[in-house]
Amino acid sequence: MSAHLATSASRRSFGAPRRRGSARKTLLGLLFLSPAIVLIATFTITPFAQAILLSFQSWDGVSPDTPFIGWKNYESVFKNEAFWASMQNVAVFALVGFFIGNGLAIAMAVAVNKVVRGKTFFRTVFYLPGVLSVVVVGLIFTSLFSPQSGVLNRLLDIVGLGAFQQNWLGDPALALPSVIAVFIWFHWGFGFLLFLAGLQDIPSELYEAAELDGARAWSKFRYITWPQLAPVTTIVSLLTLLAALQVFGTVQVLTNGGPGYHTMVPTLQIYAEAFTNHEYGSAAAMSVVFGGALVLLSLVQLAVSARRSRA
Amino acid sequence: MSLKNTEVAEHRARIPAGAAPQDQHVRVRRSRIRPDKIGLYGLLIVAALIALFPLLWMVSGSLQSLEELLAGKSLVPLDAHWENYVTAWVQGDLGMYLLNSITYTLAAVAGILVASSMAGYALARMEFRGKGIFTVVILAVMIIPAPAMFLAQYRLLTDLGLTNSRVGYVLILITSGVPMATLIMRSFFASQPKDLEEAAALDGASSLRIFASVILPLAKPGLAAVAVIQGLAAWNEYLMALVLFDDNSLMPIQRGLTSFDSAETPQQQILLAATAISIVPVIVFYLLAQRHIVKGIGAGAIK
Repeated sequence: MSAHLATSASRRSFGAPRRRGSARKTLLGLLFLSPAIVLIATFTITPFAQAILLSFQSWDGVSPDTPFIGWKNYESVFKNEAFWASMQNVAVFALVGFFIGNGLAIAMAVAVNKVVRGKTFFRTVFYLPGVLSVVVVGLIFTSLFSPQSGVLNRLLDIVGLGAFQQNWLGDPALALPSVIAVFIWFHWGFGFLLFLAGLQDIPSELYEAAELDGARAWSKFRYITWPQLAPVTTIVSLLTLLAALQVFGTVQVLTNGGPGYHTMVPTLQIYAEAFTNHEYGSAAAMSVVFGGALVLLSLVQLAVSARRSRA
Repeated sequence: MSLKNTEVAEHRARIPAGAAPQDQHVRVRRSRIRPDKIGLYGLLIVAALIALFPLLWMVSGSLQSLEELLAGKSLVPLDAHWENYVTAWVQGDLGMYLLNSITYTLAAVAGILVASSMAGYALARMEFRGKGIFTVVILAVMIIPAPAMFLAQYRLLTDLGLTNSRVGYVLILITSGVPMATLIMRSFFASQPKDLEEAAALDGASSLRIFASVILPLAKPGLAAVAVIQGLAAWNEYLMALVLFDDNSLMPIQRGLTSFDSAETPQQQILLAATAISIVPVIVFYLLAQRHIVKGIGAGAIK
């Protein structure tokens, strides 16, 4: 603050008008912001507007001709069974992934926070899957789930549960749960890391006081850990839910949406509609419908958490 | 003043934290909860095995012969076929793809660091008109999800002639990293003391000079957190690489792996070996930069 006062004071003493000083500051601020703003304006805001325009146009991906066709793309999207199947799948995906993944994350964070020795080791190992790419995870689990040579069926055989051997990714009833399981294995470490950091910030005085009052493990969790973690829980919930809803690569590599549409998810459906079916207009309409739903969801969740933190 | 792991006698609870002598850790409860401890470690070890098993399987499978793998008899290779790795490296063109990935990752991280440190500094330290609007814009674009964007970005790059182009891909990588990185840098700069820049300003140094020679050298922890997180994200990026590249010689490793998988139908053990090779850089990086990664993920999420 005082730097600004000092510079503006010295400038005034040289007789420069004040307005020019603030114009210079604005210019300097814009100069510092310009790389970020130019990139965001060009490669985020422009295409965002273009996507909305494109959803009212017809485009095959190649021709320079993109006629406006009104609401036709949206009509075809609302009649598109695969798209709605994908919306249903991703709802299941997100809910199951959300509860199991985050439940696991919080439980393991509490467990790791309790041990003294090996804390760093467990933290390192638990987050390890999170640094891999969707392609790597997809290829490893494709091999792991393979019906004949896959190690999962082999393990079941070894422990005498050969009857439970399955075509994990090919069976319509099992494909979605299998893909969800992979997704949880892949991503639960993110919530785990944040919960663990949150736990380490809880003052131990709270627990000591509770022990004085004779509190059991569960009531300590219920009345100290859980409320103290609330801000972390809000952030983890929002981010993991959005990540699960946008799932693409894991599914594309593992099943490519199959068998049938049993593991189809919206992002993959948008991709396929554009780059396989060459219906870019209706793909854009899908991305407006689905992207709009995601934006709405994050706004609702942000509003709710803002109100909660004010209360 | 760290408060964690203080297993002290119960009267400690009423003493103000700062007044507690450090050497009075009384370990009374330790011996009583032994069985609990065993259960706890048991649980953690099982979880660690589940986390590691697919990776161990990848290594095991990559060292088997095709017959052994298809027969599905052994969890551990009978004798290690290291030549699978040579075959994977050569057949899969992994050297080329890895070099592409390294180039894209370094370029993206450099671009993100420049753009986000400048923008973060402006938003944290400068007073100018329109600052509020720009902050809101940067926050708002973070809400726009990838599924709403990638198609339109593809179209834009087609119009600009930047598909199948290293420049086009790197620009997309930078843009997608900038908003979050800017917010991290903004809160980093906001938490720094102002003394040095004020002294430099009194000495008559220009804002750009102050930024380059005073601010940036002090911002290393913030820059490191941004670099590791964005580096991982750039290395693992898949969707835009899938959409933008047809030309194999330009593809990053993630695309290289899938195109190896689908186009040439390699034998399974070779594909596993290629997968194993592809994760060596990221695993080494993770083990070395772990602390920064954990911190960066925290900073990115909390902002």
